[in-house]
Amino acid sequence: MTSKFHYDLIALVIFAIVIAFGVPALMNYDGFELNTFARYLALAIASMALALSWGTAGLLNLGQAATFGMGSYAMAMHLKLRASDGLPDFMGWNNVSELPLIWVPFESLAFTLLAGLLIPAFIGGLTAVFMFRARIAGVFVAIITLAFLVAFQLLVINQQGMTGGQNGLTGLAQLSLPGWTVDPYSTGFYYLVAGCLTVALAIGVYLTHSKFGLILRAIREDADRTRFFGYNVATYQTAIFCLSAALAGWAGMLYTMVLEFASPTYMGVSFSLAIVIWCAVGGRESVIAAALGAIIVNMLEGRLSDVFVEGWHLMLGVIFVLVVMFMPRGIYGVITETAKRLHHPKRRHRKTDLQSSSTKQLETGQES
Amino acid sequence: MQQLQVTDLHVEFGGLRAVDGLTFNVEEGEILCLLGPNGAGKSTTLDLICGKTQPTGGSIRLNGTEISQMLEFHRARLGIGRKFQVPSVYKDLTVAENLSVAISKRPGIWSALSRFALSDVREAGAILERVDLSSKSNELAGNLSHGETQWLEIAMLIAQDSKVILMDEPTAGMTIQETERTAEIFRSLSASHTLIVVEHDMSFVRTVADRIIVMNRGAMLAEGSIEEIESNEDVKTAYLGH
Repeated sequence: MTSKFHYDLIALVIFAIVIAFGVPALMNYDGFELNTFARYLALAIASMALALSWGTAGLLNLGQAATFGMGSYAMAMHLKLRASDGLPDFMGWNNVSELPLIWVPFESLAFTLLAGLLIPAFIGGLTAVFMFRARIAGVFVAIITLAFLVAFQLLVINQQGMTGGQNGLTGLAQLSLPGWTVDPYSTGFYYLVAGCLTVALAIGVYLTHSKFGLILRAIREDADRTRFFGYNVATYQTAIFCLSAALAGWAGMLYTMVLEFASPTYMGVSFSLAIVIWCAVGGRESVIAAALGAIIVNMLEGRLSDVFVEGWHLMLGVIFVLVVMFMPRGIYGVITETAKRLHHPKRRHRKTDLQSSSTKQLETGQES
Repeated sequence: MQQLQVTDLHVEFGGLRAVDGLTFNVEEGEILCLLGPNGAGKSTTLDLICGKTQPTGGSIRLNGTEISQMLEFHRARLGIGRKFQVPSVYKDLTVAENLSVAISKRPGIWSALSRFALSDVREAGAILERVDLSSKSNELAGNLSHGETQWLEIAMLIAQDSKVILMDEPTAGMTIQETERTAEIFRSLSASHTLIVVEHDMSFVRTVADRIIVMNRGAMLAEGSIEEIESNEDVKTAYLGH
């Protein structure tokens, strides 16, 4: 594992260098291009968060978009209040005459930042406690989280006076940090998002290599056996759900800042399934691969959806089917298998024992 | 000292009384073997002690503490370890990782969050040496042979270091030499651990057992040393039929 840990650290450093220096240089520090890429990076955080619960613990959370949306709305509520004089405009249109109580604390930036992490963690934790105490596992986790997502999106759309309903929250101010008004088309903002992704990935890499991550992998494989070693399986599962939800909320906050609005489509089923696809394409076993998957698929979407406006979703579906069929462990799987083959040429001999001796000689020749 | 006290234990599965009024005590440091024909309730008894199955009546006390209503991880923390009939190592984890999971002195989440996966590497190494698996520590457990898998499981039991270890047919599928070595390890374990073993291999039972309980239809049929059991008429009837 120590060597695996080193590989992950190297991969993380390379990844950080590429997004910090390579990408901005490639885009000529163009504000519009960097904003587009910052969007991919924010989505990469959502994808790596799913890799933690799905890849490490084997819990397929189809409600990832709900916690993403909570973070996104938390940030949007703060920015909306900053943009409005008193009551936000849409509330007036909906005959709401007084600022709803839950909006009041979002005046404070500190509260907003905490809420964007802690509310998703709390709600995620609550669903997790009910599921995992009852020892619900496998496909039922996916069904319950999906149902929760749909219900939550409906709730947000229905509370039009409080949430802007179908329109979401638009006309937001730019975030003003002490001494810095964050312009989403600036290089500074790009580095903020890139920095957040790097920190999130560092947390993810540490978690997967900690004993906590090991116990989660043990639970994924055999939850009952792990209980007989004295581990409280439900607590471990709840903890990773909370962490994953908090990271998704973080991603949501950044996403609102990138696009300068929050919409209930962020909590939609199709968005939630898209996160699963990114994660699967990259490889759910590694947080870095999952982040990479999100970036690659979204870049493809950015390029291809301009050309094939209607056909793009079909293509995304085909990509997903092909990945599941031919590289079930995603890009990460392809890389590790190739690396293994390069490192242990002996392995290959065992497999090729049945082949003719001439090919064997060829391979031993290559080895020496 | 009585470490484990089982009193009037009952369990029913849809009308079938799998364990029916079973009472026995286990002394600290003892190796107790459970014998009996198929369906006698031996494995079920182990399931009831470790918490895999909830009893419908009776009590189980570990060092005086009632544990029959506790969840399995609580019982494990109090010192009850279990080896199952089917080898149950984690096939997707390496041998060293399997052992690290088994080293569970601090099973809490904060301690797990603050340590690396293989932080107990020295302890794990010593145990692997004992079962001759040191060279395989980075191998996936799924790639081990059947015998090696059995050894890994025994290594995991040693690593878990439970006070009371419940074993279900630990020598199934082992060669004679492997069985002998297992017996040796069991004897060395019994100095600091209490063992309850379900086993069919009579030569193995003869080597390791301090005391034997023969079960039939969920109840105790006979109890005593190997000589007493072998000369017991009731036992012969149960095994050979009427």
